[in-house]
Amino acid sequence: MARIATCWTMLVLLLAAELVAARAGLGAVVCVLAVLMVLVIVLGFMQILRAPPLAIIFALGGLFWLAILLALGSLDSFTRTTVPVHDTAPYAPAVR
Amino acid sequence: MSGTPSPAVQQRSYLWQDGTLRSWLLTRDHKRIGLLYLGSITAFFVLGSIGAALVRLQLLEPTGAILSDATYNRMFTMHGVVMVWLFLVPSIPVTLGNFLVPLMLGARDLAFPRLNLLSWYLFVASGLLVVYGLFRGGLETGWTFYTPLSSEYTQGRVLPVVLGVFLNGFSSIATGVNFIVSIHQLRAPGMTWYRLPLMLWALYATSVIFVLATPVLAITLLLLAFEHLFRVGVFDPTLGGDPLLFQQLFWFYSHPAVYIMILPGMGVVSEIVSTFSHKPVFGYRFVAWSSVSIAAIGFIVWGHHMFVAGTSLYSAIVFSMFSFFVSVPSAIKVFNWLGTMHGGSIRLDAPMLYAMGFIGLFTVGGLTGLFLASLASDVHLTQTYFVVAHFHYIMVGGMVSAYFGGLHYWWPKITGRMYPEIWGRVAAALIFFGFNLTFFPQFILGYEGMPRRYATYPAQFQVLNVLSSAGAGILAVAYLLPLIYFTWSLFRGAQAPDNPWGATGLEWQTASPPPVENFAETPVVTTDAYDYAARDGRADAARVDEGAPHA
Amino acid sequence: MPDSPVLDHHSPYETPLHRDESAIAGMWLFLASEALLFGGLFLVCLIYSHTRSAGWAEGVRHTNLVIGGVNTMILITSGAVYTMAVEAGKRGDNRRVVRAGLGAAALGVAFLVLKGVEWALEFREHLFPGPDFALHGPDAGAAELFYSFYFLATFLHGMHMVVGIGLILWICRKARHGIFGPAWNTPVDIVGLYWSFVDLVWMLLFPLLYLLGRA
Ligand code: HEM
Ligand SMILES: [Cu+2]
Repeated sequence: MARIATCWTMLVLLLAAELVAARAGLGAVVCVLAVLMVLVIVLGFMQILRAPPLAIIFALGGLFWLAILLALGSLDSFTRTTVPVHDTAPYAPAVR
Repeated sequence: MSGTPSPAVQQRSYLWQDGTLRSWLLTRDHKRIGLLYLGSITAFFVLGSIGAALVRLQLLEPTGAILSDATYNRMFTMHGVVMVWLFLVPSIPVTLGNFLVPLMLGARDLAFPRLNLLSWYLFVASGLLVVYGLFRGGLETGWTFYTPLSSEYTQGRVLPVVLGVFLNGFSSIATGVNFIVSIHQLRAPGMTWYRLPLMLWALYATSVIFVLATPVLAITLLLLAFEHLFRVGVFDPTLGGDPLLFQQLFWFYSHPAVYIMILPGMGVVSEIVSTFSHKPVFGYRFVAWSSVSIAAIGFIVWGHHMFVAGTSLYSAIVFSMFSFFVSVPSAIKVFNWLGTMHGGSIRLDAPMLYAMGFIGLFTVGGLTGLFLASLASDVHLTQTYFVVAHFHYIMVGGMVSAYFGGLHYWWPKITGRMYPEIWGRVAAALIFFGFNLTFFPQFILGYEGMPRRYATYPAQFQVLNVLSSAGAGILAVAYLLPLIYFTWSLFRGAQAPDNPWGATGLEWQTASPPPVENFAETPVVTTDAYDYAARDGRADAARVDEGAPHA
Repeated sequence: MPDSPVLDHHSPYETPLHRDESAIAGMWLFLASEALLFGGLFLVCLIYSHTRSAGWAEGVRHTNLVIGGVNTMILITSGAVYTMAVEAGKRGDNRRVVRAGLGAAALGVAFLVLKGVEWALEFREHLFPGPDFALHGPDAGAAELFYSFYFLATFLHGMHMVVGIGLILWICRKARHGIFGPAWNTPVDIVGLYWSFVDLVWMLLFPLLYLLGRA
């Protein structure tokens, strides 16, 4: 019970902090806080540390592959050379 | 363990225990589910083959022999979609894998038997949806569903197909979860990781791809469907989206998926090569870990499908480099199989013929992959028949051969009957010959510049195309043969002994066909996977016990 | 998922504990798979929010922060309440499983209702992408992309909520028959993993849809 209450309070506080950080325009802080909230849920509600060790391996595996998807998947978009298009139609193809 | 199963064994066999249709359709027995899958994917294999036959008939003449351009496009799409998702991706895992994983582990069933049955129903539903979509409207996008062709042009005809493939994905995920948890949790006493048959290492690696790549395909297709249904932009440039993003997401799944379509074959070949050389697999740990590293590296090479799509040079270089890395574990396997055969007492029964065909054809396919992974040569070869030949060497020459090899190898265990050996060898040889005649000319065609996915071609390419179509005819006959003699053997084949090939592996220690509970008592493993000395010792002892004359 | 505390004779497991651990591990593996399902969405967001950042942020500024914030509170609470059901299950207290489960499900329904209200407001304001999209100007295209993402992401998350609520009700029905005990409560646990996962996804979607780029 106490554990659940603590986790709940932590989540609420983190949410409040997120709102403040967003108001202040601190995007990076918001991201960190969001990750912390996820950690509270995984450790506090899902109790991954008390699950069979296999569960931890699976969770880390999923996380690792998620990182690959996001990193290599955005590699091209972030390094692409874009050639300006003359046509100024409202829906130009994705150009930066 | 005698040559003729007693009536008592037959009565306890999983095949005959309860013969009602209902008991089959509601079964949770992994062996029966394997057979349900076998029936369904065979039907889809026939359907996909009809598509291929029409494509090859069309290409007999430069102007196109029989089909309109639109129908041609629909046929190669039908062929690709059906073959990839309804046949090759499930093929070995859901049939042989379902049947063998618990047997090889020494377990009574998979970890989640009901989930296993659910996966079959999902598969059937997805198959019906896909086929409905392909025939109601027809689809001309190819199996890759590239946007905006799939969203703009097809006017909704893409939806049922995409929904079917989406469902199909969840069937794959269910199978993957089942295999992974089973291999972790259900190993018999003494069955350590390094005593697992290499087939299980390969299926484990395959399952990792099932579980972690398939959901990305699911979300991609869902995005495509959403975009199309509600006209909201995601990939469509006219709605502000980026079509290359579709390709990124699609290939994040589909390159790993091509390893789904080869790793299980590698597992089968490891088993067969060892058995028919009567030698432990050379470098067991290298072969085992190469499966895992193929699955892992296979996730970081997908950009090689987009070299000419306008992706950035950085991205292209990174993906090209990783693509070279992935060929290293593949090569390790090939060398280890050859090392296994070296100095072995090789028997050339049908399964071994298929396995040897696999090794040769996979090598050709893999090496030509390197041509395509090099930026400079890919610019010339991409979107030509060279690519078509490359992947058919691996998928058909490799994986389908391995599938047939595995079916022959385990047929006695699955059905309790022997197939006719002579016919098995004839079919294997014919497949090898027909395959090369079909696809080798395509390397030359592609190298000379014939593009893929066109209904017509310049007249100078006709000779090679006719050769290729002739090969396809031979191939069709060759694939029909096993269908016929397997069916025949079900009724007339000789009774199979428990271990007809003198193989190691727990599946050979139980009856053929196995009883419902797989093993009379849970086996205890005391030796490595391919310990022929120990097995031969046991077999001799058994013969002495029975008082049979010594060989 | 096992549907009774005892092992039947076909069960592949040696002991109930062995079976329950496998089920929990299997659920985690499935959640890893789900993470990659949402991963595709996150990739879309990652790319467009950088390559089309101005219009994307304009979209973020038009979302309804009040409803979003309240909904986040609701989900946090619902997750906590269901975790209480999990604890009760461990003690074999079926009545509390039912009560906490129904509470969590009710909060889930409240989330969906609010989400529906939010969607209705957005439709009325023409924020659904299309020819009569409300925002204009040079970055309107990217704002439309944002709203495509918004609707897809909330829809997919909402579908997961619906499934989760269904699972919770199924648990409540079982608990009403007094089926769980200290020795066997795996289904309560497993549904808890799923519900927390749905929770967790929202904790990531909330900043992406409502906060980043707002200031
Ligand atoms: C040795 C490792 C491999 C390498 C380096 C490799 C490389 C490549 C490359 C670079 C392409 C893109 C060609 C292009 O479109 O221009 C390609 C296409 C393809 N490969 Fe491979 N490959 C390998 C193994 C495999 C395996 C094992 C399979 C299947 C079992 C496979 C199936 C395919 C398919 C289906 C395509 C064509 C996809 C399409 O556009 O429809 N490849 N391969
Ligand atoms: Cu590839």
